Amino acid sequence: MSLYLESPRTKKRNAAERRFQSYGLAAIAAALFFLVVLLGQIIGNGSGAFIQTRLTVPVTLDAAAIEKAEGSMMKTSGYRKLIVASLSAEMQAKGIEAELDSKAAKALLSSGAPNTLRQHVLANPADIGSTVTLKLAGSSRLDGYMKGRVTRESISDDKAITPAHLDLADELIGVGLLSKGFNWGFVTGNDASDLRPEQSGMGQSVLGSLAMMLVVLAVCLPISVAASIYLEEFAPKNKLTQFIEVNISNLAAVPSIVFGILALAAFIQFGGGTIGIEAFRASAPLVGGLALSLMTLPTIIIATRAALKAVPQSMRDAALGVGASKMQAVFHHVLPLAMPGIMTGTIIGLAAALGETAPLLLIGMVAFVQTDISGATSFFTDPNVGMPAQIYIWATRADGAWYERAWGGIILLLIFLACMNIVAILLRRKFERRW
Amino acid sequence: MIGGGRLIGRLHSFAGGDMSASTLILVLIALAALGFFLGRSRALASASGNAQALHSRPHFYGANAALMVLIPSLALFAVWTVVAPLSIKADIAQSVPSGLVDEGKSLDLLMTDVRNVAEGLDRAVVAGALTSDAALSIDTETTDVRALLGGVGVALGANVGPEVLKLAKTYRAKSASSSNIMTGLVLAAAMAGLAFAFLRTNKDFRARNTVEATVRATLIFAAMVAILTTVGIFFALIFNTLEFFQLYNWKDYLFGTTWHPHSGGGSDQPLGLIPLLWGTIYISLIALAVAVPIGLFAAIYLAEYASPRVRGTIKPLLEVLAGIPSIVYGLFALLTVGPLLLKVFGNEGLGWMQGASSVMTAGLVMGIMLIPFVSSLSDDIITAVPQALRDGSLGLGATPSETIRQVVLPAALPGIVGAIILATSRAIGETMLVVFGAGAAGKLSLNPFEAMTTVTAKIVSQLTGDADFTAPEVLVAYALGTTLFVVTLCLNVIAQIIVSKYQEQYS
Amino acid sequence: MFDQPSNLAPQVETPVTTDHKITAENVNVHYGDTHAIKDVNVKIDDKTVTAFIGPSGCGKSTFLRCLNRMNDTIDICRVSGLIELDGEDINHAKVDPVQLRAKVGMVFQKPNPFPKSIFDNVAYGPRIHGQAANKAELDEIVEKSLRSAALWKEVKDRLHAPGTGLSGGQQQRLCIARAVATAPEVLLMDEPCSALDPIATAQVEELIDELRENFSVVIVTHSMQQAARVSQKTAFFHLGELVEFGETGQIFTNPHDSRTESYITGRIG
Repeated sequence: MSLYLESPRTKKRNAAERRFQSYGLAAIAAALFFLVVLLGQIIGNGSGAFIQTRLTVPVTLDAAAIEKAEGSMMKTSGYRKLIVASLSAEMQAKGIEAELDSKAAKALLSSGAPNTLRQHVLANPADIGSTVTLKLAGSSRLDGYMKGRVTRESISDDKAITPAHLDLADELIGVGLLSKGFNWGFVTGNDASDLRPEQSGMGQSVLGSLAMMLVVLAVCLPISVAASIYLEEFAPKNKLTQFIEVNISNLAAVPSIVFGILALAAFIQFGGGTIGIEAFRASAPLVGGLALSLMTLPTIIIATRAALKAVPQSMRDAALGVGASKMQAVFHHVLPLAMPGIMTGTIIGLAAALGETAPLLLIGMVAFVQTDISGATSFFTDPNVGMPAQIYIWATRADGAWYERAWGGIILLLIFLACMNIVAILLRRKFERRW
Repeated sequence: MIGGGRLIGRLHSFAGGDMSASTLILVLIALAALGFFLGRSRALASASGNAQALHSRPHFYGANAALMVLIPSLALFAVWTVVAPLSIKADIAQSVPSGLVDEGKSLDLLMTDVRNVAEGLDRAVVAGALTSDAALSIDTETTDVRALLGGVGVALGANVGPEVLKLAKTYRAKSASSSNIMTGLVLAAAMAGLAFAFLRTNKDFRARNTVEATVRATLIFAAMVAILTTVGIFFALIFNTLEFFQLYNWKDYLFGTTWHPHSGGGSDQPLGLIPLLWGTIYISLIALAVAVPIGLFAAIYLAEYASPRVRGTIKPLLEVLAGIPSIVYGLFALLTVGPLLLKVFGNEGLGWMQGASSVMTAGLVMGIMLIPFVSSLSDDIITAVPQALRDGSLGLGATPSETIRQVVLPAALPGIVGAIILATSRAIGETMLVVFGAGAAGKLSLNPFEAMTTVTAKIVSQLTGDADFTAPEVLVAYALGTTLFVVTLCLNVIAQIIVSKYQEQYS
Repeated sequence: MFDQPSNLAPQVETPVTTDHKITAENVNVHYGDTHAIKDVNVKIDDKTVTAFIGPSGCGKSTFLRCLNRMNDTIDICRVSGLIELDGEDINHAKVDPVQLRAKVGMVFQKPNPFPKSIFDNVAYGPRIHGQAANKAELDEIVEKSLRSAALWKEVKDRLHAPGTGLSGGQQQRLCIARAVATAPEVLLMDEPCSALDPIATAQVEELIDELRENFSVVIVTHSMQQAARVSQKTAFFHLGELVEFGETGQIFTNPHDSRTESYITGRIG
């Protein structure tokens, strides 16, 4: 029969072909859909953490009141009175009739506001006696109201805030005393206790993660380069080499929580406990970094070996041909040529380690850290959290305001991960070599 | 406390000796530097300043001397740091009066007390709350030791008895002398190494070969870290698991069908593995049911149909999905997918679901998480199928989909099975997602909308918080860890064997 | 095969009766920027073995792959010009390559049996094209194809053993049986013996001679001896051009073109 005619069977087969292709397209569409939904959720729920509700208060810094406040046990309560008085006055000046009683002040102002004022006074003693206009954080409920998380219906059982307070907030917006701004405190601050989500920040955990990443880098890079050089360039093909290789590929697939158990038993219980090495204690970034190092090492070794493998044999031959020893050929020629690839692999390994949470939970890196870390010596050994651990802590506090913080923490974490991956990609592009 | 030393860790916390660990290491480094210059200059001198006459370049002689200083001394230092505390502990344990342990306190707890007190005394001396002499002669009659130590930041659970204080003092004395002996031996080793290298240095000495052999040994050692890690995992799991099985019947663990730990429950509480295993398997099955079809079809489309440009765009996007940490998926399950499912299947809908956490929640999200894993592995495997087979099929008039279904996929099947096994292993070992998405109670149920828990989630819950590491409900976490490790290891090994056989076939 | 009712394809010219199975006119092939085939004109007869010879890279395989549109599977490949099978343009928009390839089968350079049983390898084509109504018919097709590929005696007892377990020569004959099973009208062979030892080569060559009774066979070969042994017509390609086409005897004994002469005497190649 003619080629120009599509036989019924071919018609059917072509329909099956199109169906099959559409399954593939549907699968890709589904995966991309999930990606979009996930990113949408993260940004939609988390961007609020970067925005803070603030009350603009011109505070009159009465010298006597400040002296009295500094002299008392609860220093902040004096400052609190100052703020409330100033705010009340400002409200009246702007023509708001409602009264700012102490309950309303508590409902609207963050409990951290007095401390903000105090820090300002301590930093600028010259301002005492004058009036300074400060932007003071609103309470978590007020913050939620401004972002649409808290509504009049949702607070029907709430003791901390009433619909009347929200009416007052509306009036404050009307006269420009209540506004929203970028929340630097979220990027630089520390964790805060359960009831003060509006005062919490990721800063501390960023430092904790930084400390751990430094440990991972310091441990993994030399060991993986050394191990890879041995396995790629020197190792004889024997049972031991094979055993090492099997070990590496198996370790790469061991669940991360197992490395947590290893770190708990080896570093904290044995190293810190039985032997008594003081640096090996629970919640220390040093231990967290070591746990993550053990977990990441196989991945980085695999990447490093691939980078060494990509250096053509002719480079080694050329070096050996002019009388270099094998060791010199490797360290002078092969290793420098493989370095961009090694760095790329290492950064990607670090990114994976940065997002890892489970091992950190087991070694107790869920510490509540409120104080600043100061001094390089304690940077690695003082109790701290990592970014994912901080997100975990906030998520377990099971409250809308904390969930917002957790999502916000995720945004910050993903920004770091994205930056690392972009650096890795750029590095690969820049040094990509065609042999 | 010596400030700068803590950066490296004041390795020897109760080093009462004259030299702290960090100072010792600095001295060793200085000796090594000295060795470098001595070795180098002696080599040059032996060739009357003519570097050409040397067997190796001058710096190799220096490096040789430096390595001879560092290696033996550091090795001795490391071994001593680990072994000495253990032997001191064993010594002290022997001298514990028999009455002290019988009072219901375990030897381990007593030893912890002893060490805490000893450490506290050290701190008190450093902080100036106590003179070194007073620390040696302190007794419980005249001093409130607990208050004293509390003042320097060492919190003790109970009052310090005279026996404990006595043991602590012995402990300090032994530690101090051990530390002194170590410092002496380590320095002697360093000096001996230096002398040996120095004497051996002359123009005919094959310094390069010696240094290279040492470097090579270092490389081998680095490669062995992988084995050490495995051994470490093995010991970390096995010792604690055995301890658990001493307190708890292994049959009740392996075959028990209820999981309901409560603190202080001893060996009677139900710590059955089966409900946890069931939760793990159920969630993994749902995850695979999502990830395998989507991942596989995506891989097929990308490998067989997509133009290079589409492929170049879609693959990185899928990798983004793979690069997102699992805690993010956990939150996504808890706060997005769970509530969404609850709306449809909860009490306001079909009434099958009670809370946002469920097997379905965790399974679906884990499926999403595994899509890029399955697709990238499958992509590699499908593209490894030789083009000749496709040509053979297309040349007979098969359509691309017939070629894929009847030739490419059957040829790739072993590899794809391997990939699915690896994905299963991933699913079983996943932790953060199930901590948030799955639930907390171990249950044996077929309803996928019920909250269940998994092996990994329970490892986390039993080992975090105020864990008493002698109680069965805490130690069970190690048994769970062993179970998890064995299962995932088996899956990984099987997958690797299958995949490597597959790769051999087409390479 | 039945005669084509002309009302089904009114816009198509009625096929001109011709004794040429395949006619190619002004065929050009581009691989990206490379001009691989330049203005090739050739007429291939039915029930004849036509050999394409020429130095490697001369485009003979590329041209062969044009004849059943296997080049469609390569993204960067563009084919222009007219190729007709029985007077029908095979590159016409209405032509489904799937149907074309059922008529124009292909055997490749390297034996490429599917990782399936011998039976399933041979039955693959008939199955996808629905050429057997039942199991008995399929069995018959498989046996006939294996017989015509001179493989039946060797494998009849192990039809369900994997095809990949056969020797190289057997594998290639299996691939020929697989191609024959769809009852094609033309059989394209791309250096079918290049991966085989001399004994297997002899077997396959013998087979090609027998296949001539039922098919039009086009074979690309590297070996001039092979072309001389198995073909009736020979085309010599050089640098993408068809230099000379004629009776095999004439090409090898009395070439008209100096380049052909240089090639067969071993001066270029």
